[in-house]
Amino acid sequence: MRFVRVLGVLAAASALLATPALAADEIVVGFATAASGFMQAYDKPAQDAAMIRIDEINKAGGLLGKKIKAVFADTKTDQAEGAKAGLAVLDQGADLVIVSCDYDFGAPAALQAQSAGKVSFFLCAESIKAGIPGVGPASFSASVLAAVQGATMAEWAYTKKNARSFYRLLDSWTVYNKGICDGFDWMMPHLKDAALAGSDTFKNDDASVASQITRIKGLPKEPDAIMLCTMMPGAVSAIKQIRAAGIKSMILNGSGVDGSYWLSAVPDLSNFYVPVQGSVYGDDPNPKVTEFNKKYKEVTGGDPSSQYVYPGYVLIDVWAKAVERAKTTDTEPVVAELEKMNGEATLFGPRTFSKELHHQNQGRYLIVDTEQGKPKVVDQWTISEKIPVDYLVSK
Amino acid sequence: MSQRPSVIWRTIATPVILAVLLLAMAALTYQFGSRAFNRTVVEMFINIMVVAGLYVFVGNSGLLSFGHISFMCLGAYMTAWLTIPPVMKSITLKGLPVWLLHTKLPMWVATPISGLFAALFALIVGRVIMRLSGIAASIATFGLLGVVNNVYSNWDSVTGGQGSIVGTPATMNVWNGWLGAAIAIAIAYLYAISRSGLALRATRDEAVAASASGIDIVRERLIAFVVSAFIIGLAGAFYAHFLSIVNPGSFYLRTTFITLSMLVVGGMYSLSGAVAGVVVISTLIELFRNLEKGVSLGGLTVALPNGVQEIAIGIITIVILMYLPTGLTRNQEFSWRGWPLQRRLAPPVQAALKESN
Repeated sequence: MRFVRVLGVLAAASALLATPALAADEIVVGFATAASGFMQAYDKPAQDAAMIRIDEINKAGGLLGKKIKAVFADTKTDQAEGAKAGLAVLDQGADLVIVSCDYDFGAPAALQAQSAGKVSFFLCAESIKAGIPGVGPASFSASVLAAVQGATMAEWAYTKKNARSFYRLLDSWTVYNKGICDGFDWMMPHLKDAALAGSDTFKNDDASVASQITRIKGLPKEPDAIMLCTMMPGAVSAIKQIRAAGIKSMILNGSGVDGSYWLSAVPDLSNFYVPVQGSVYGDDPNPKVTEFNKKYKEVTGGDPSSQYVYPGYVLIDVWAKAVERAKTTDTEPVVAELEKMNGEATLFGPRTFSKELHHQNQGRYLIVDTEQGKPKVVDQWTISEKIPVDYLVSK
Repeated sequence: MSQRPSVIWRTIATPVILAVLLLAMAALTYQFGSRAFNRTVVEMFINIMVVAGLYVFVGNSGLLSFGHISFMCLGAYMTAWLTIPPVMKSITLKGLPVWLLHTKLPMWVATPISGLFAALFALIVGRVIMRLSGIAASIATFGLLGVVNNVYSNWDSVTGGQGSIVGTPATMNVWNGWLGAAIAIAIAYLYAISRSGLALRATRDEAVAASASGIDIVRERLIAFVVSAFIIGLAGAFYAHFLSIVNPGSFYLRTTFITLSMLVVGGMYSLSGAVAGVVVISTLIELFRNLEKGVSLGGLTVALPNGVQEIAIGIITIVILMYLPTGLTRNQEFSWRGWPLQRRLAPPVQAALKESN
């Protein structure tokens, strides 16, 4: 039974190591996010931004006179570990549980927070499920719905660029991609005279999109705009192939392709448009965003790589405001205060929460235009109408 | 010796010992463990179900299967369809048949149905796959995994596609988890000592002789395949209740390989090996995860870099298999008496002797 004995010792050792520590006169914010695995690339930057806001608040005297203390648990980009990470930060007394960027990976921790009666916030999830429908009434997301991105691009291109014929190209890999195209689909009937010239799908890891390109080339007239609902890493190859085939239509995207890190792969890319919540290129109309970028560089040693850094900052900002107004960190009053926010100004666009929706179904987006491989903010746009919650949930 | 244990006790000693050991673990965890640790133990119990299911097929037939996690997927989704409140289903899973859309069953009814569903599916595909021999069958099961995963990832109106479906009631705790593991162990053991289990092991060790003795290899394999699918279907149902969200990514390569390595490390020809493998690997994973988080030693926090756990588990697995190629239990079953003595005998001879008795 030697081996059983060894087992017993190991089990006892790991149980001892798991003893939690409790905090006293502090407000605890728990990060149940990925510190390893592929989600780390999404979670870490947004988490750094959240920490910058926490630092600012602590330097300015704290929240309700108390310092905010951050505690962390690694989800390891694993759903079962995510639930445990959620419990681990709750056991350390977290009043707010911040979970992974993606709905699928953040939900297990958020569900734990929900059943413990605590507020949870997705760092930057853009699915309608990240909130009431997929977690519960105390769950929020700091970003803007993917559908708003698709709708924004369609309406903006129609109004400002006179686009009338659209082609819809969907990468069916993720729910996020589908979300962009859902928003586009919802907007299309609202645009008088706009027509869908065609629609096609591909998969993110398809080596070639030649057959899709052939169908675009086969159209009687090149479409004014291609709505490309995709994300990294497959986006680069698709964009490169579309341009290499001589298709010059404007390409409309979701925020998932923001960032200049990949542009060298498609030299001299032009007529390429991306909606962003804030500009990482140093030309945001709000000088405070550029200031934030500088601060981010000081703290992390690098520039923000894409706009997905910003929701982390927004998250702490709106939550702290709600706590201040509610004068407590208790869930019910804080949720009530959050739900009162209507066009609450943040560095990265206004935020609105309601009893029906803890996400943004309308939002101000900056439009970044890439010309000759140089991205630049050229405009900003807010969709004229909110995308109905029923439509979003039914998708 | 006059106190030689009774036949019944000798027959059921292994599952009873395993279940009691696990019950002790459950009780200790419930008493002393944090909530996160409780979840770790439930996850371990679910893995025991999966690996016990794998043992039924892999251990008895000697064929490696890469496709059994697809049964976990079938079980988990079936449970989700049966237990998610109809209001939620009618929004997100519009493609479900109407009767299913309006069904809401309690966990203890939905779980066996999910197991049966997986078993039925295994019966259908097994009739084809089990005709193949050796490596061809293994690769065919791998194909099965791919097919199931792709269907569940893309049939949006029924499975919710790549996204997760939420709403399976979170009813898991260590006691339920233990019960699941105990049931899985009981079924696996009963199968192993059954006529069919014995016949299948005969085909594993000496296919030609077994065939000449009148054993229908395809039939025996199919029975094991269906039984194991039932157990793993149950495990899938438990997993859906454990995580409350179901998505196809959870039931793919990662789970396939971690459960297979648990089986091999423990000793794939014995049920005790299957269970021991899960316990040891789970314990090691948890230990290294805690070391990654950091341990304070007299005011000094020492932490391993993130990612060491995966590397360490790989290395430990290799070392175990170098020194114990037949696994931690050397393919022996736990029994009350004579255990250390039996271990000194060469395992195949031992196994053959035991079966011929």
